[in-house]
Amino acid sequence: MDRGAEIIIPRSVGTAREPKIRQSISAWIFLIPALTFFVCYQVYPIFRIVWISFTDFEFLSTEPANWIGFGNYIEAYNDPLMWKSMGRAALFTVMFLPGTIIFPLILAILVDRVRHPLLATVYRLILLVPALIPSTLVFVLWKWMYNYQIGPINYMLVEVFNIFTYYNAPQWLGGTNLTLPSIAIMEIWWGLGYHAIFFLAGLASIPRDMLEAARLDGANEWRVFWHITLPRLAPIMMILVVLRFGTSMAVIDEYLIFGGFNRGAPTYTWTVYMYDQAFNIGLWRQGFAAAVGMIGAAVMVFFVAGLVYIFRPRG
Amino acid sequence: MVERNEIELKLQEANRRQLLQGKIDRREFLSRSMVAGLGLAGVGVASKYGVGPAYAAEGRPLTPTFYDWIEGLHPGIPGVNERFPGINYQIAPVQGFGIERFVAESKKSDSTWDVYVGQTPFVEMTSLIEADVIEPWDNYIPADVIDDIIPSIREECSVNGKLYNWPFLLDVVGMGWHSGVTNKAGLVDSAPATWDEFLDGANTIKESGAAPFGATFDAHGWRSVAPLAHSRSSDVYTPEGLFDFTSDAAVEALVLMKKIMQTSNPDILLSGASDGGVNGTPDEVAFSTQRVGYYVKYFNAPLRMAQYWDDPKQLHMGPLPKFSGGEGSTVFWTTGCALFKHGQNKEKAAEYIKSLTYDRQIWKDSIAGTETAHVGQLPPYSSIYKEWGETKPDWMLPFVGLVRGQLDRAKAIDNHLFGLSQFQIGQPFWEAFLKGEESDPRVAMQNVTDAVRAEMNRG
Repeated sequence: MDRGAEIIIPRSVGTAREPKIRQSISAWIFLIPALTFFVCYQVYPIFRIVWISFTDFEFLSTEPANWIGFGNYIEAYNDPLMWKSMGRAALFTVMFLPGTIIFPLILAILVDRVRHPLLATVYRLILLVPALIPSTLVFVLWKWMYNYQIGPINYMLVEVFNIFTYYNAPQWLGGTNLTLPSIAIMEIWWGLGYHAIFFLAGLASIPRDMLEAARLDGANEWRVFWHITLPRLAPIMMILVVLRFGTSMAVIDEYLIFGGFNRGAPTYTWTVYMYDQAFNIGLWRQGFAAAVGMIGAAVMVFFVAGLVYIFRPRG
Repeated sequence: MVERNEIELKLQEANRRQLLQGKIDRREFLSRSMVAGLGLAGVGVASKYGVGPAYAAEGRPLTPTFYDWIEGLHPGIPGVNERFPGINYQIAPVQGFGIERFVAESKKSDSTWDVYVGQTPFVEMTSLIEADVIEPWDNYIPADVIDDIIPSIREECSVNGKLYNWPFLLDVVGMGWHSGVTNKAGLVDSAPATWDEFLDGANTIKESGAAPFGATFDAHGWRSVAPLAHSRSSDVYTPEGLFDFTSDAAVEALVLMKKIMQTSNPDILLSGASDGGVNGTPDEVAFSTQRVGYYVKYFNAPLRMAQYWDDPKQLHMGPLPKFSGGEGSTVFWTTGCALFKHGQNKEKAAEYIKSLTYDRQIWKDSIAGTETAHVGQLPPYSSIYKEWGETKPDWMLPFVGLVRGQLDRAKAIDNHLFGLSQFQIGQPFWEAFLKGEESDPRVAMQNVTDAVRAEMNRG
């Protein structure tokens, strides 16, 4: 073996590895901003909340927090109010979720059939209008619409159609049985156009010739919808169901605005309970509130997994 | 560039103040101004020669922060601010009584603000004390001002003999009525003396058709259960400062509420439209739309609602009616000022708050009303009422004497960590009686007490 060969072999290995290492280093360097953001903004708060949930941390207390293991979880598990409030959120989700899928789907199919380009664009723009209204304005608008004494809905029912009087007219908001359906209607209206746009995007991706071929083969519109359109929209439906399940189970702004902290109100859900404990009651038991939040999150993850399975793309 | 100019400006302002205070002479003032005028390069030199410490000693300008409704209802506040050049007036991030920002800053021994105007003792004062966010005013408030505060208000604002709330705006719960409605119903145009008379009148209004509803109230406990109980007896607090829901007075108050509800707007128990359901309540809608004759709430509510009437002069106000043999008391509270422990400019803050709370224009606007608001909130100082008694201003309205008179009999809700939340926790339980889900008021109130206790025992 000559000396040159001894030198050449390690060199060839070295030159092959160096670019890889360099590439790897440069990749990590480029990843640092995103990773830093991800860790600080996403990972750290979650771990922080998990840690807090195992302590007796009270925000207003000047005493340091103590590790109490699963104490908060056991207390939350045995707390009837937590489960009752979780049930209220689930009830709202049941009222809200079907409507937020079915109505936008129907609307999207109707708009998709408009062939005039200008009209199709105008309809799409109109659909998006509610989604562009700031949340505060939406809440003010619907709070007025539902107002028992001066709202236009009760005005129509009492003054125009004489179905009710001001002594027995429906009390839409503020703690009655109608409160959750009323909020669900508001939410469905608010998201109608936005969700319809999702379905319109899905409909646009279905090849027209596939639909035409089915019709030529004698399939009626219902069969076309059921066997071609709907399966093709399944991935979009899954995204919407999962996203909106999460938001409907975790609604809080609307509940605080429409129901406040009245524990007897149907709007007092687990999110409001968590907020109440963390920022309102006593010394603000944020350790316990964090445990309630973690349990709520775990329940949601369980159901989301189920929904992903049910709405998974098939065929 | 903007920042540099600001620094230069502040340095020059600090120099000017020190010159006026006689701390530096004209020669020193000119040299410092020249150095400061060099811009950022000059700042380093300025520090070396003493201008920097001068600026640091001055610190930031006086920085008060107000709950936003106060500014909206009292347009005279900017006039007070004009007397404090350089003041950094701000609106507090406390929507719905949220104090988390104050607490979070205090944990870092810091405070963006020097004084918070918007504190109500029974609502959040105890929390702010517990969290070590605020300190007493005693070292800063002039002795003559302390002595001038009406004794019951001073008691409300004190904990362990220390004044943690410098009172500003006084609210007292009483009743108002719409004389257009009551006259139409054939009622005497005067305040009902007893609750029985009140109920008779409310029934007459409803039955006569003078208005759809006879009487209404704000269903939040501190605005209904507590004042109605006080009208029977103000001795309704436990030694630790909780409201005694099982006391005879509280139970009678609950029964009375149910009787009033038979003549009231059916949505009376629903939550309000703003501030987490606390404000914009159904009673306000009923009274402002002239659909009800009698109204029980703190006096500024009927005043504000009557602004929407065809003829606001048809509003009349009176004290809360009494139970037969009752004490005839009511509830009052003040909205006042908290001094941040980690704030700055504490002497200046006291000077500002004194100026604010004694400002005659604010009180004139509050009582006589302005184009934008008629609040009816009153001052907490004896001397101001004395002054008005001696020389009655031409804008003075009769309700002021009424409120002042009520104050002598009124009592504030005791300060406690659960001062406000005990009413929030208990509401569904006493509402069970009001809605007919529980037939025994004592059982309902016992359930309230149990729920509050259970929550307190948690931690």
